[in-house]
Amino acid sequence: MKRILPFIIILVVLGVAIGSVVYMTQTKSASNENVNQAGPVGPKPTPAPTLGPVKTGDPGADPPHTMGPANAPVRIEEFGDFECPPCGGFHPILKQMHEEFGDKLHITFREFPLANHERAIPAASAAEAAGLQGKFWEMHALIFEHQNEWKLAFDIQPIFERYARSIGIDVERFKRDMNSDRVEQRIFLDGKRARSMGVGSTPTVFLNNREVPFQMLPADTLRGLIQKELQAAGTQK
Amino acid sequence: MVSAAHTDLPVKTKWPYVTAALLSLVGLTDAVYLTIQHLAGQSVPCSVTAGCEEVLTSPYAVVAGIPLAALGAAAYFSAFSLTTLAAFGYRIAGILLRPLVAVMVLVSLYLFYLQAVVIRAFCQFCLLSAAITIALLIVVLVAWKKGSQ
Repeated sequence: MKRILPFIIILVVLGVAIGSVVYMTQTKSASNENVNQAGPVGPKPTPAPTLGPVKTGDPGADPPHTMGPANAPVRIEEFGDFECPPCGGFHPILKQMHEEFGDKLHITFREFPLANHERAIPAASAAEAAGLQGKFWEMHALIFEHQNEWKLAFDIQPIFERYARSIGIDVERFKRDMNSDRVEQRIFLDGKRARSMGVGSTPTVFLNNREVPFQMLPADTLRGLIQKELQAAGTQK
Repeated sequence: MVSAAHTDLPVKTKWPYVTAALLSLVGLTDAVYLTIQHLAGQSVPCSVTAGCEEVLTSPYAVVAGIPLAALGAAAYFSAFSLTTLAAFGYRIAGILLRPLVAVMVLVSLYLFYLQAVVIRAFCQFCLLSAAITIALLIVVLVAWKKGSQ
C-alpha cells in the first residue's frame, strides 16, 4: 500500500487540477454569456452581478469633463487610468453609448491614475492640459486609441506634444500646463472623489451614482442597463 | 521497475521533500488559477495594487499557442509528483527533481526580468510563483545535502 500511496496522491492532485480548470472555465464562460445577454433570458446557474448602492462622495475636479446635457436622465461617470488596458478597451464602448443614446446620456470622465502605472500621471496631465484649452475629449480619445504607442515608448513627452499639435492647441501652453498646479490639483481632486466613493480599480463606472460591476461593462450589457434606467426615468415622470 | 528504487527514507531526509511537495502544491494552485483566468478569457480590471492585466494580456503570456500559466501548472505538477515520490523513498525522483527545479528557477528569473524591464508591470500571482520556485530550490538543495550526508 505504501508503494502505491504516492501514485494515488499524484493522481488525485492531477484529477483535482484538471477538474477545476474544466469546471471553472465552463462556469465562467457560461456566466459571461449570461452577462452578455443582459436580461431575463436563459437559465442562470450563477447569480448575476447587480449594481451597487447609490454613492455621492467628494465633489472632484470642477468643472468636470462631460459629454451630453446636464439634465440627461441617465448619468455615467467613469474613473479611468489612461495606461490601463481595460480602460482602453472600455473607451470605444462608452463612445458607442454616447453615439447611440445622444442627449439622453450624460458622461463624465474622472482621472484615477494608478500608482503602479508609471505613465498614467503624465497621460492624465496631458489630457487635463488639453482640457484647459477646451480639447479634453479630443486628447482623451487620442491617448486611449494610441495606448500601445506611448505606453512602451522610451520618451512619451514628444508623443503627447504631437497629439497636442494634431488637435490644434497651443503646444507651448500645453507643455506648461502639463506641469502646472492647476492640472495637478484637478487630478488630485478626481482621485479624492474616487477614494471617497470606494474606487480601487479602473475602469470603475457609476450609472446614476450606482457602481456597475466590471463584468457588466461589455457594450450589450451596458446598453441594457442604460435602457432600463431610461425606462425607469420614463415611468417616474 | 520504479519500485526497485524504492527505499524508506530517514525522517530528516523526508521532511524537505514533504515541504517541497507542499510548496509545489501552492505553486500548482497559483498556476491553475492563472490558467483558468486565461482560458475563460476574463479581462481583469486594473487595480491599485496589481499589474496582472498588463502581464496576462502581454504577448509573453502565450508560448507556441499554449498559455504560459498552463506550462507553469505542468511544471508544478511534475515537481509535486517528483517530490511526493521522493518523500516516499523513490531516489530517482529526488535526482530528477534537481534539473527540473533548476529550469523552473531560470524560467522564473527570465519572467521576472520581463515583468520588471519589458512589460514594466508586476503581477502578484506571477511574483508568488517566482517566490515559490526560489523556495523550492532552497528546499531541494537542503534535501540534496541531507541525502548525501
